[in-house]
Amino acid sequence: MKFVFTREQENFRQEVKDFVAAEMAAGSFTVDSAGLVARESREFSLKMAERGWIGLTWPRQYFGQGRSYVEKMIMNEELMKYQAPIGYHFLADRQIGPSLINFGTEWQQSFFLSRIVKAEKEAQFCLLFSEPDAGSDLGAVSTAAVEDGDVYVINGQKIWTSEAHMADYGWMLAKTDFDKSVRKHLACSEFIVDMKSPGITIRPIINSAGAHSFNEVFFDDVRIEKKYLVGKKNEGFRQIMAQMDYERAGMERLLQNYSIFDLLKKHVQKMSDEGENGEFYAWVKDQMAQLEIEYAIGRLLCYKNAWIIDQGKKPTTQAALTKAFCTQLEQRLNNVATQILGPISQIRTGTEWSPFPVDLAACYLWGPSYTMQGGSTEILKNIIAQRGLGLPRG
Amino acid sequence: MEFGFTSEQEMLRKSFAEFLNKECPADLVREMIEDEIGFSPSLWKKMAELEWLGLTYDDRYGGMESSFLDLFILFEQIGKVLLPSPLFTSAVMSGLLINDAGDDNLKDSLLPRIIQGKKILTLALLDEQGRLDADEATIEAVQSQGNQFLVNGTRLLVPYAHVADEIIVCAGVKGHGTGGSTLLRIDGKSEGLQTTFLNTLTGEKTFAVRFDDVRVPAGNVIGDVGRGHLHLRGILPKATVLKCGEMLGGLERVVEMSVDYVKERHQFGRPLGSLQAVQHHCADMATYLESTRLIAYQAAYLLSEGLPCETEVAMAKAWASEAYRKTTWIGQQIQGGIGFTEEWDMHLFYKHAKASELAFGSSWFHRAHVFKNMGLS
Repeated sequence: MKFVFTREQENFRQEVKDFVAAEMAAGSFTVDSAGLVARESREFSLKMAERGWIGLTWPRQYFGQGRSYVEKMIMNEELMKYQAPIGYHFLADRQIGPSLINFGTEWQQSFFLSRIVKAEKEAQFCLLFSEPDAGSDLGAVSTAAVEDGDVYVINGQKIWTSEAHMADYGWMLAKTDFDKSVRKHLACSEFIVDMKSPGITIRPIINSAGAHSFNEVFFDDVRIEKKYLVGKKNEGFRQIMAQMDYERAGMERLLQNYSIFDLLKKHVQKMSDEGENGEFYAWVKDQMAQLEIEYAIGRLLCYKNAWIIDQGKKPTTQAALTKAFCTQLEQRLNNVATQILGPISQIRTGTEWSPFPVDLAACYLWGPSYTMQGGSTEILKNIIAQRGLGLPRG
Repeated sequence: MEFGFTSEQEMLRKSFAEFLNKECPADLVREMIEDEIGFSPSLWKKMAELEWLGLTYDDRYGGMESSFLDLFILFEQIGKVLLPSPLFTSAVMSGLLINDAGDDNLKDSLLPRIIQGKKILTLALLDEQGRLDADEATIEAVQSQGNQFLVNGTRLLVPYAHVADEIIVCAGVKGHGTGGSTLLRIDGKSEGLQTTFLNTLTGEKTFAVRFDDVRVPAGNVIGDVGRGHLHLRGILPKATVLKCGEMLGGLERVVEMSVDYVKERHQFGRPLGSLQAVQHHCADMATYLESTRLIAYQAAYLLSEGLPCETEVAMAKAWASEAYRKTTWIGQQIQGGIGFTEEWDMHLFYKHAKASELAFGSSWFHRAHVFKNMGLS
């Protein structure tokens, strides 16, 4: 039990901090909020690649640095606090790499991993998981991948695909066994799809925050070579569940709105016992302390995930618990921020009356998505109850 | 960052748990509520023999020189079985005060006997409004010419006052020379000292203590005259965090108990625990448990290492207070009618959670402290 970092870890944190500060000072990005993973800059990713900060935890033989997940958590904490634009490589680094290392062929590993760690052109991924009739029940995917000689032919539709319009490759779950007697979880496989393939149509979905982040992706006789099948045929669901742990374990679920908390602190700092309505100010203080406590807990949960992974164990329950806790906190943060600022909190950025340089109204609008994406809070609670506590499936 | 126990800590945890599970079943806890003394003297003796009462003290007093974290691990296990004993008030709070503020004579004479369980001390800190008033103590100690104090006032919710050899108060000294908040040891059998059992929601042995012209020798001051509140403030973080340990253990037991129950209890031809509404309640309990474990162990570790942790201690108590209480609410709900009976154990934890929440500052109090340390005011 140790609730402090080693000297080496503290030094590494400082190194990342200095890098972020220098980049901000040089104007390579400004502090923003909400669309964390969507903020991308290949130039920024290239600078991280130079430092060996992409693929930090991947073993050396897989083009990585072989460093610990705790170190990666430290790095991400410093990057994410200020919303550094890491979207170009973030998803591939977080879950495509580890999946390929676990399940990929030698060719897939050498082709994709080397490109991802160098932030090369055409190395951005999106996740082709959800379908109109397969959301929380991911095993119910019906997009079909049918063998035809040397290729698989893909037909079907994906939805809620973040950044499909930017990505070079898609990581897809598709049905590969059509025998009705086979359980659906044993009937799908994972593929990598070149998003420029003929037969792919991408249609944007504008979310209720007014942004284009989701897409629908249609597959019409898309032919992909068999070498793009990842892992074993019909074992895609099991493989994907391992990947979801990485998707849920990290700080991105805690810190997407950290800049709001930072600005809110500055705002509250200007308040005082004399200047405010006493009852209101007392409430504000209590709320701020509660948020501070929950951030502290969320942070410990994230570091514990990293520590569990470093022990060579699966963090499935812990990651589910972390994601549920942290995303609910982020929703509450934006709510409290609007309540503290009052009516002006609705004014979006770009006017002289906007309360914050970061768009608080947009953050509030994005709120509902946090507790849905990457496993809804309800699905996560099922995992905690069934896998963690051993309760029987309903 | 490391989140696992060392093998030594794991062994210690197991030995605490094995002993307490065997020696302190829930029936004993119930029995002790009816009992006049309120704890088992034979169990008290065994714990003293195991040297649990002297866990963190120096070898010269018969202590084990273990870390504070080890003591925290003990308190987690104590909370799991709700051990009724004066360990917290005597061997921890009173002992630590004497250890930190007392002079060598006092330490040499008193600490060994506290550690051996031969003397029981208790602390009487709360005024009639339930406030910890050490800074401006409303209990009065007037220095008289016969080299003694005359103590007057009332303290509430004093644990085990009926068996205490000595009761420690933080009194406001008036009279000759220096005055102010001062710690005094008062013989439990003093003339003018009257204890009244308070029937509280837990039913534990807790008392009102009235001091009516109680004569206390001047030599019974612990530490410095006028610095009693400071001495007390020195041990409060440790007391608060150990209380959090106790709460963590209780919380853990409620989760175990509730999950076991919904696995076994069948309705609609299936286990209750297969119903999603019940599963989500259980997931919430597990989340309260894990979050409390992390925030409480963080405070215990930092205290143990002597690192600054004012904020972390306040965070731990603020969070544990809410999390434990809410978990017992859920536990009561999903254990249904049987959970609301005397014979079932759940109510013991429901009561403990409320009493612990109100001890050493409520969650609101500690959040105010967290806010103060955020540097925003």
